[in-house]
Amino acid sequence: MMLLDPGFLIIQTLNGLQLSMLLFLLSIGLSVVFGLMNFINLAHGTLYMIGAYLALSAVRLFDSFWIALILAPLGVAMVGAVLYALLLRHLQSRGPMSQVLVTFGLIFVGIDAVRMIWGPLPHGLPVPDVLDGRMEILGEVYPTYRLFIIAVGIVALIGLYFGLERTRLGAMVRAGVDDRTMTAALGINIDRVFFLVFCLGCWLAGVAGVISAPVFSVFPGMDMSILILTLIVVVVGGPGSLWGAAVGSLLIGMVDTYGQILAPEFARATIYALMAAILLLRPHGLLPARPIH
Amino acid sequence: MPDRDPVERPFALVVALVALAAWVGGDFFMHEVLSEIAILSIFAMSLSLLVGQVGMVSMGHAAFFATGAYATAALTIHLQWQVLPALLAATLIAALLAALTGLFAIRTRGIFFIMITLAIGQMVHAYLFKARAFGADDGMGGIPRMDLAWIGLDSNEPEVFSASVLIIAAIVWFLLRILVRSPYGAMLLAIHHNEHRLRALGGFVAHFKLLAFVIAGTIAGLAGSLTAQHTAFVSPDLGFWTVSGEVLIMVIVGGMGSLTGAIAGAAVLTLLRHTLSDSSFWQNLGLDSGLASYWQFMMGVFFIVMVVFATDGIHGRLRRLWQSIKG
Repeated sequence: MMLLDPGFLIIQTLNGLQLSMLLFLLSIGLSVVFGLMNFINLAHGTLYMIGAYLALSAVRLFDSFWIALILAPLGVAMVGAVLYALLLRHLQSRGPMSQVLVTFGLIFVGIDAVRMIWGPLPHGLPVPDVLDGRMEILGEVYPTYRLFIIAVGIVALIGLYFGLERTRLGAMVRAGVDDRTMTAALGINIDRVFFLVFCLGCWLAGVAGVISAPVFSVFPGMDMSILILTLIVVVVGGPGSLWGAAVGSLLIGMVDTYGQILAPEFARATIYALMAAILLLRPHGLLPARPIH
Repeated sequence: MPDRDPVERPFALVVALVALAAWVGGDFFMHEVLSEIAILSIFAMSLSLLVGQVGMVSMGHAAFFATGAYATAALTIHLQWQVLPALLAATLIAALLAALTGLFAIRTRGIFFIMITLAIGQMVHAYLFKARAFGADDGMGGIPRMDLAWIGLDSNEPEVFSASVLIIAAIVWFLLRILVRSPYGAMLLAIHHNEHRLRALGGFVAHFKLLAFVIAGTIAGLAGSLTAQHTAFVSPDLGFWTVSGEVLIMVIVGGMGSLTGAIAGAAVLTLLRHTLSDSSFWQNLGLDSGLASYWQFMMGVFFIVMVVFATDGIHGRLRRLWQSIKG
């Protein structure tokens, strides 16, 4: 049985970890925005796709993955800021349905816009030279670049933890998630905090898009499948919570990876069932940010 | 019960007359489009009951549409059933799935209801996408249409089929209208307005919500069965979450809470899609015919504009117009 083979287990666990880290980068922004303002943004996957495409152009222009890694997420954050100022800001007072449907429309706009600019065919991005190799880890050989993705995720988790726990903005965010009205009453401009968090979330989605481009192919619609997994992570982990997003990402990343091997016919269906079960048992997610009233 | 909505009846009359005129004067292509619109109208009316009447915004309604379609395909092709019993059974299977999933879904509210219904829809899609017995991602083809030889008609004729589905859509409209205007419908509306209060007054909120969910799922299953017969083909795409999103947009475009609006919304969206994706339309405008391949972009913009600026939909606009005429 392949499950008893330690080499197989190590490789698959690393694969699962890689998916988990991408999901974490994507879900944390969505999750905090959701926790802070009850705002749901289905176009978050679109921002991830734009990140990958901007990286494609940056690499063509500057011939450097690292410059792309700096520029593309900034570009995505700017796209996010513009979307927010022009459109999403006006939806905050509306119910979840308006938010869902408007950002649903944005998905189609995004896919076709990308198709217009970069063409319909899938593209690939070469792995940067420094990371283009294999490393031995626990006696198994594994591509260095994939370890890099895992490392980026871990660095982001640590950075966000300290940002949230030790900085002024982090304290405002935590206060806002906990009790928005009270925080605003204390004189904190919650809308500005929300805007900053929203842009940071877009930036992280851009980072996820850039670093995933050398592994997965870049094509119009690459946002669709990852979007749903990201939403599931947010709901399962508990909106607004850093550890919730982390635990949710690990759970969904691992279940998806192992599920595809053990029961390919039911793998994705299992994830949806898992989410439904968690929502029923713990309606506010596994690690909710807010005390349940 | 007095008719509190002065627009709904004339609006329905106009929609019926337009449908009749289109059917009488329509060519082959028009009958195909009419069938499509009629089927999507049934689908949209079922969701309108949930969203407009009870305020349950489902992003997984395509699950029942796909179930109805696949059950019809499997029963007629694998088990060689006649189409009419297959249609009834498919509708029943969709009802059972709605009852089963509704038991869980109705326990959540707001954004969590949206998410759990999204998960239900995607669960059905993911299963169909991999299920070998149902052709996996290739889907199934060769589904027959209902046998109308007993009244001397052939449903493979486009005008016969479009007439049949239009009549079924009209029946669904009538039945749902009776339901909405019944005490049960009033109860659903009360849940929409103030669920806590109704619960405090002793209403069996959960029972009513579950029943609404099952009725909506059943009718969506009927629409699914009809679409399988119409296109003679089913694929997992029928259950994809974007289908649920699009039918929700139809309900919004038509005007929440209006059954006739759902029909109008289905017609507007279907016609818009056919028009925008038709390269000769762009040529006639003197524009590049290649624009037709970007129809999704324009549909997306249309969705956004409708949701942002016209939340009350076609029905709401008509109502305002009527009020301003009345003074």
